[in-house]
Amino acid sequence: MTRLHDLNFFVKLAFAFALMTVAWFAPNWQYGVPFALLCLFGLWVTKVPKLRSYLKGAGLLTVMVIASWMVNLLLQGTAPLDALAIAAKMAARLVATTALFYFVMETSSPGAILAACSAARLPAIVTLVLSLTFGIIPMLRDEFERIADAQRARGMEIDNVGLVKKLRFALARGVPLLVQAIRTAHAISFSLTLYGFDLSRKRTTWREVGLMVEPHMSWKDKTR
Amino acid sequence: MSFFSTQNLTLGFGASEPLLSDVTFDLDPAQRLLICGATGAGKTTLMMALAGIIPKIIPNQSYSGRVSLEGRALSEMGNDALFSHIGFVAQTVEDQLWDLSVEDIIAFPLENRGVARAEVRDRVRDLMEQLELTELAGRRVLTLSGGERRMVVLAAALAPHPKVLVLDEPTTGLDPAARQRLCHALSQAAETVSSVIIAEQDPTHLASVTERLAILSKGTLSPIRPLRPALEETALWQDAGLLAPRRPARTRAAQSVGAELLGISNLRTKLTRASGKPVLDQLELTLREGEVLGVIGRNGAGKTTLMRSVLGLSPVASGEITLAGTRADGWTTARRARSIAYVPQSMRQILFHMTVAEEVRFALSMGDSHEEEETLLARYGLAGLGETNPFALSARQQGQLGLACADASGAVIAIIDEPLLARDLEGRALLEKFLERMTQAGRAVMLVSHDLELVDDVSTRLVIVGDGHIPFDGTCEDGWNSPAFAALGWPAPYAAQKECAE
Repeated sequence: MTRLHDLNFFVKLAFAFALMTVAWFAPNWQYGVPFALLCLFGLWVTKVPKLRSYLKGAGLLTVMVIASWMVNLLLQGTAPLDALAIAAKMAARLVATTALFYFVMETSSPGAILAACSAARLPAIVTLVLSLTFGIIPMLRDEFERIADAQRARGMEIDNVGLVKKLRFALARGVPLLVQAIRTAHAISFSLTLYGFDLSRKRTTWREVGLMVEPHMSWKDKTR
Repeated sequence: MSFFSTQNLTLGFGASEPLLSDVTFDLDPAQRLLICGATGAGKTTLMMALAGIIPKIIPNQSYSGRVSLEGRALSEMGNDALFSHIGFVAQTVEDQLWDLSVEDIIAFPLENRGVARAEVRDRVRDLMEQLELTELAGRRVLTLSGGERRMVVLAAALAPHPKVLVLDEPTTGLDPAARQRLCHALSQAAETVSSVIIAEQDPTHLASVTERLAILSKGTLSPIRPLRPALEETALWQDAGLLAPRRPARTRAAQSVGAELLGISNLRTKLTRASGKPVLDQLELTLREGEVLGVIGRNGAGKTTLMRSVLGLSPVASGEITLAGTRADGWTTARRARSIAYVPQSMRQILFHMTVAEEVRFALSMGDSHEEEETLLARYGLAGLGETNPFALSARQQGQLGLACADASGAVIAIIDEPLLARDLEGRALLEKFLERMTQAGRAVMLVSHDLELVDDVSTRLVIVGDGHIPFDGTCEDGWNSPAFAALGWPAPYAAQKECAE
């Protein structure tokens, strides 16, 4: 199933939009929740990386959405069970949406997106924006984890502590993360200039691009 | 008309004295120039000016003079034409990389210029084969080691067939085998690249692919002279603040060692190689009070995994780790860090405070030292920088801050990963001061480096990491003559000048 990771970025994007539409048109929680669970199952089956971290985030999102809708609806006089049904429907929509786009983001490297855009002969500016939008988030998340490791290696006990302290240490990661984000932006801008990226010129790509995007060169098969 | 020339190049960054003054030289086609200078001498700035990055990408108000290629000033050329003709590899290659795959990075300059797919593929294939990068196909560059990244960026610089190649300290982080590949690639590139200009601190590794030398010191560039005779002139290098390439190997005094501080027994990591084999398996290692343990091995041999396992950052499947006689397997990384100070190659990875003083204060809070922050900073050449943001320091100063923090933490063990600051006289003196303080206080250091001369100079014991375990553990003298070292195919230290000629 990991072969699905190599699907053309635009195919993935269209697929995600189509399924998201289905999720948002689900009439009630009885349809919405199973569909959201199906999306999560899809992530597991297709072996999307770092699924555990996503599930933690999705769990937190679900709790927050349900809580906020419940408070809102109860204050408006909705019956508790009706409020819960509406809140669950909303949470299910969001979980399905984030799961679908998590799949797109996590399985599409900036290089694969560049290739798909270049093969589609899209303007350079569109190519750049799409690659950066979908590529930078996993990069910064990895950086966030690396900084956490660095904090641990300097002696900061960030694991066996209470939630407040954990949050405070997470905030301390903001400084190096910001520095790294600026450095990344600089590196991207520098490499674009140095390597001849030009908004007025359409790019080519070394990859075979069709329904699938070639993930890497093979040295077994020398055919082009 | 010279092929490549600079005339009265002067530039600086706001200080009263310019960083570079009146740099003037001419290169004919097929000439290769090595520019040597200590850290902070202005090599990186000069390389950026020679590549046209200053002032084309990084404007500089103090810029004056002229750098020209085939009679045309670089400042007058369009970016596209300029960077097609001049290939550049930065010292900090991360500045040229983002999260693309190896093939993407190499193909990037060609794809951006609209080169046809078949041609791009041919060129990428050729370069990957030539630089022995085929094993890295499909890997994201940000997951590669520093040395591997440098070779990928070199391939990208060569991809558009530049006329001039400008390389800023290209051997940084390369193991001896990779240095040989670099020399080989530069020799092959001579067929298409007219001139190569390389900045380095140590001239020996690239002596076979360059024939001219200029020394950069105190903002001025010496006249160009033949490289080989200059290698023998000890005073020339020392005056420029550099380690003399033909310095004799140091004789080490016998070192007394004390109790065991770190013990690793039968270690097997959860992290596995593509074959399914654990990266480290049945690994045994000890570190005692007063020792400086040199750790060497090929890129990918497991040195980083060993460090990460000791620190608790990489999960262990089985085995035992003891710190000062106490089982530490179940300890968190933070608890281990109170006994082990980690100084990575890039200090940016472990800085997270707003000022230098806060970094040192945090390190002091880990131990029971009562030293003043200023005393510690002064010891490592950072006096007066307490209120500076650590990210505003140069890479060299960040390395110094790493030593100051490791010293301040009071940790009984320091792990130093590729201390690049030790490549010139001043940096080497700071490192040796740190090692002396550590060993005299009954603490110990694990030094992981590809710089075999450094390892030979300062280590009291040597281990070689290979195939997931440690095939050699003993004295340096025995190590350089061991079958495990022979299996690496590397030249022994102080024979490095021969490595490219072979």
